[in-house]
Amino acid sequence: MDFTREEEAILRGEEGEGKRKAMELVTALGKIYGAEDLIDITSAHLSGASYKTIGDGGLKYLEDMVAGGAMVSVPSTLNPVGMDRGRWAEMHISPEFAEKQLRIIELYGSMGIKTTCSCTPYTGANVPTLGDHVAWAESSALSFVNSYIGARTNREGGPGALAAAILGKTANYGLHLDENRRPTVVIDADIDGSVFSYSLLGQAVGMAIGGGVPYFKGIDPCVEEAKTLSAAMAASGSVALWHAEGVTPEAGNHDISGLEVIHIGKDELEAAYSKLNTVDDVQLIALGCPHLTEKEMHDIATFLKGKRKVRDDVEIWFCTSAEVRERCPDDVRIMEEFGPVLADTCMVVAPIEGTFERTGTNSAKAGNYLPTLCSQKAMCRDFVKLMEVVM
Amino acid sequence: MILKGRTISGGKAKGEVVKIDEPLSFLGGVDGATGEIRVGNGGNVAGRILVFPKGKGSTVGSFVMYDLMVHGKAPAAVINESAETIVATGAVISSIPMVDRIPTIDIFRDGDVVSVDADEGVVEIEGVELKEAVSSAIMMNDKVLMLKRPDSCRSFPGRWSLVAGKIEAGETPVEAARREIFEETSIDVGTPDAALRPIYVREDAVLWKVHPFLYRTNMAKPVINDENEGFQWASVEDIGGMNTVPETEYAVNELLRK
Repeated sequence: MDFTREEEAILRGEEGEGKRKAMELVTALGKIYGAEDLIDITSAHLSGASYKTIGDGGLKYLEDMVAGGAMVSVPSTLNPVGMDRGRWAEMHISPEFAEKQLRIIELYGSMGIKTTCSCTPYTGANVPTLGDHVAWAESSALSFVNSYIGARTNREGGPGALAAAILGKTANYGLHLDENRRPTVVIDADIDGSVFSYSLLGQAVGMAIGGGVPYFKGIDPCVEEAKTLSAAMAASGSVALWHAEGVTPEAGNHDISGLEVIHIGKDELEAAYSKLNTVDDVQLIALGCPHLTEKEMHDIATFLKGKRKVRDDVEIWFCTSAEVRERCPDDVRIMEEFGPVLADTCMVVAPIEGTFERTGTNSAKAGNYLPTLCSQKAMCRDFVKLMEVVM
Repeated sequence: MILKGRTISGGKAKGEVVKIDEPLSFLGGVDGATGEIRVGNGGNVAGRILVFPKGKGSTVGSFVMYDLMVHGKAPAAVINESAETIVATGAVISSIPMVDRIPTIDIFRDGDVVSVDADEGVVEIEGVELKEAVSSAIMMNDKVLMLKRPDSCRSFPGRWSLVAGKIEAGETPVEAARREIFEETSIDVGTPDAALRPIYVREDAVLWKVHPFLYRTNMAKPVINDENEGFQWASVEDIGGMNTVPETEYAVNELLRK
């Protein structure tokens, strides 16, 4: 790889051991993917925030990073953690878990990372713009900013994104380069346009293509729909960038003639639906994967207003960021009649497997991860149909 | 004997090999507190040169490697055929020397004493000598000429092989192949019809770096010398069932694909 004089000095350890290690990691990852040099980034978003997922090894790693004086050099945000930091007892979280989780948040904070703990930082805390090079972990968020905003990031892992945040640089390969942002397949989509149909569309596309850069025809997603589509394709496949004709900023840059066309319609959505649904009744309904936006909070509250939850044996969690929760107090008041509006966390990274066995969601992403990461049988339905379970 | 690989995580180490033949997920595959290996033949990674083809599985695996380091149970070094993100990340953050792009992990045996200089990207198996050889598939009417090595042969006694032999000082592989074919079969060949990148085959204290070639001929009557005790024209399918020198079937199939 080609290094600038400044980068070589960092590699020699002239700016301290912490930066040298960060450079060693970014370089190692760059080598694996054939990067020729490093590129400056404008922001980072880090995963590896829940004690449930990183464990004691991860906690010790963060302790050591902080002890070594690590500090990020670009605006950086953090993924959801294993609990709402004020309401963890309502989530059946043990004090031991809570103590370690709070310590993890504190450690990230002391490295200069904004600890809003959300998987949708692009709605407020961390908003890249078209053409920005960034280093983002969190598969749904990085796909959203690549696709809907036109920023440029690879699928970073937690420590890799942290190293990039410390350096303000990441390895220049993959989706940082024009040639890798070209569509690889055309998706001729036939959906009803509901938010849930975008979740199923993403699931079906991930199942059909695995990876690559799909180019959609026939969809017009708003922010919420793009969010759920990104999340679903990153969970059922490994899609990190997609284009939608007439919608996303880079769609018009590309010639799609000659690409394979895959039709996704009723049959494919039904197959996706049955893949995600493995149970008919649930103990928990969790919404907000990825985190609920203000609009979604308002839509939910509008639907719930005047209704009553009749089943006491089913809990409902609404997951969002602390910022969004703060911004819509009226909606929160209505939603709290049905269940807690939780900030900083979600059903996937919280240790729900200690309490529940069957969980409902309207997210294809959660539908994929609830069985594997949380030992749950999953129900994946449209929001209104989920609410019918408890009304 | 020194093999050149690629630096992933710097540092130097020496230790005994513990080898896992399958792609490894540190999460679930290795106990972060004790170093115990929970897959394959078991064993422990602590202080060993951990050899496996590549990483797989959860990204949490990086932190399991860190956990090993914290508990003093980390491997002394990691050798992969091809590095991927999870293990590379774990090795760098845990300061475990790591090298990849070693031709194949088949060249290592459990218990080999190996020195890893990950700063230079090189690996040395102690007491193992590198020897270069050629191995030629002579094809006639879809059959391959196989030679039977006598039991007195120093390498791979009693096995069936292609027309093989050591490269002598000053010879190129193609020259050696032509000479060996003529010496062992009296067949005079021209230029090879196909060649492969070297294949590495471990035989006790010798690591053979073998250059495979393919020659097509219409009419050949082998006259074997005393280096072999017999020959046969075998179909490609038959080779798998014969007691051959390692990698013979693989080499023939790959040569025919060229």
